[in-house]
Amino acid sequence: MDWTSILHFFRGPFFTFSLLFFAAGMTYRLIRVLLLGWSRDKVPSRGSKAVGVAKSYLKGVIILPFIPWVKRTFRGNAMTYIGGGLFHLALLAVVVFSTPHMMVWKSLLGFGWPTLPFPVTDWLAAVGIVALVILLINRMTHPVLKLITKAPIWINWVIVFLPFVTGYAMTHHLGLRYESLYSLHMMAVDVLLIWIPLGRISHFLFYFFSRTIHGAQAGKRAVNP
Amino acid sequence: MSEKTVYESLRESGLSRRDFMKFCGLLSGWMGLEFLPGVKALAATPEQVAEALMAKPRVPLIWLELQDCAGCTEAISRSQSPSLVNLVLNSISVDYQETLMAAAGFQAEASMRATMEKFKGRYVLVVEGSLSTAADGVYCAIAGRSGPDILREAAASAAAVIATGNCAAFGGLPKAAPNPTGALGVGDFIKDKPIVNIPGCPAIPEVTTGTIAHFLVMGTLPKTDRLKRPLTFYGHTIHDHCLRRPFYDAGKFAESFGGHGAREGECLYKLGCKGPTTYNACSSLKWEKGLSFPVQSGHPCLGCSEPNFWDGGGFYQAQSAPIDRPTAAAFGLAAGVGAALGAAMAGANGLAKRKAGKTEPAEPKKAAE
Repeated sequence: MDWTSILHFFRGPFFTFSLLFFAAGMTYRLIRVLLLGWSRDKVPSRGSKAVGVAKSYLKGVIILPFIPWVKRTFRGNAMTYIGGGLFHLALLAVVVFSTPHMMVWKSLLGFGWPTLPFPVTDWLAAVGIVALVILLINRMTHPVLKLITKAPIWINWVIVFLPFVTGYAMTHHLGLRYESLYSLHMMAVDVLLIWIPLGRISHFLFYFFSRTIHGAQAGKRAVNP
Repeated sequence: MSEKTVYESLRESGLSRRDFMKFCGLLSGWMGLEFLPGVKALAATPEQVAEALMAKPRVPLIWLELQDCAGCTEAISRSQSPSLVNLVLNSISVDYQETLMAAAGFQAEASMRATMEKFKGRYVLVVEGSLSTAADGVYCAIAGRSGPDILREAAASAAAVIATGNCAAFGGLPKAAPNPTGALGVGDFIKDKPIVNIPGCPAIPEVTTGTIAHFLVMGTLPKTDRLKRPLTFYGHTIHDHCLRRPFYDAGKFAESFGGHGAREGECLYKLGCKGPTTYNACSSLKWEKGLSFPVQSGHPCLGCSEPNFWDGGGFYQAQSAPIDRPTAAAFGLAAGVGAALGAAMAGANGLAKRKAGKTEPAEPKKAAE
């Protein structure tokens, strides 16, 4: 079997399977969380839940990343905060705003959007890879993190790291031939899609739920909310 | 009477010795003798190519056309390249070529048979077009015989087989899904002969003739890659030598055909170029005496020298996009299955909780809050 056939498989049928598994798995996870239910307000709130939600996003996404020292997470382990933040920024830039990935979205959604210049996404991809390596070292050396890290977290790291590094190598023609690296990249992406609903990377979806719910709670003004 | 050498045949066709030496120089360059370590070890130079051609008898070609469009033949016959194509194909050796030969019908078949008998084990079989294997090969029959029959017989006594064009090499367009004729590449059918593939749609004339010339001079087929393509011509991708490559590296992509970016030389990646994964000599040899090639003239590479390129995603869809994507219905079904499973699990958990709640009433409620 040659690399072209392998690439066809991982860009074709296996990608379709991974995507469907991802859709089914994430819907399952979402329904499970939604059906846990949440408590009703026992007394009327005088505050605005919507304002609470808006403030929550404003603080979490726009303000706090620029004054991280006010957060306990940062004071406790700055490496986790900075590394994690840079990694997520790189992830957003590469997956959503790089030209090749936008073309993937376009083929799936039917519409595209303007992308960032290549040098920007390229440097951010490198930042993402370095951040992941630093996070790994941090996790391997930090006494508390070491203690609470079990196998699924290490697997998470590998499964997230591989698409990054194969994609970067492919773009820069490093090591193997383009179609070999492309095949490995697609293989890694397909595995990632399958893994997401099974593990904690599913936080990409639940993050928004939790921030919304916490924001709404924070927006309540009542005696016993 | 001894058989004529290649040199004698060329002299008879009116070639001067000076032209012959030029031809040998061109030939050695074309065959990439400088690049191949194995050949370099033989220290093959234009002089040695000349010596080989002067000493070796001419090697006849039988050129079969199966499920093809004759595009590869057209490309060769219209090639403006200097000497090599004309010399190899017109003067040296083509004994049977359905599109180009003057003979037709029974005469043509008799000519092929005569060549096969006279040069048994020494002629080169060139195949253009894919083989139809469905329904005993009825979809492509010539002179009342099916393609597999003809190919089997012609290949049996051939010294080597050269599959020219994507159809002959990998099945090409006829093999595209749903492949109603059961199309196959020659290599999928003939297993006991040395085969070299010259894929392309059409194959670059100089690549086909360069490979034939290699056999004439060296007596062997050239060194190939895993897909049996000559490394000299298929050792690099279109992307490797593309003149739009600097724009790819800089991330400047043309947005539309014939638009400002495309005219300024920007990369055609977003317009569907398959250059990064396509091995061929288009961007180095080019076409029409090195005048241009598709990417240079503003059209993305279709990947026509790769297996299954018709089914490898849309021609005008960026290469990063998936080949297959689930339909909305499939997505809906997957989400529905996920939702149903989630609801069923939640229901089962709820029941279990309620059952447990009879013995420990306060615990689950608190957790839920």
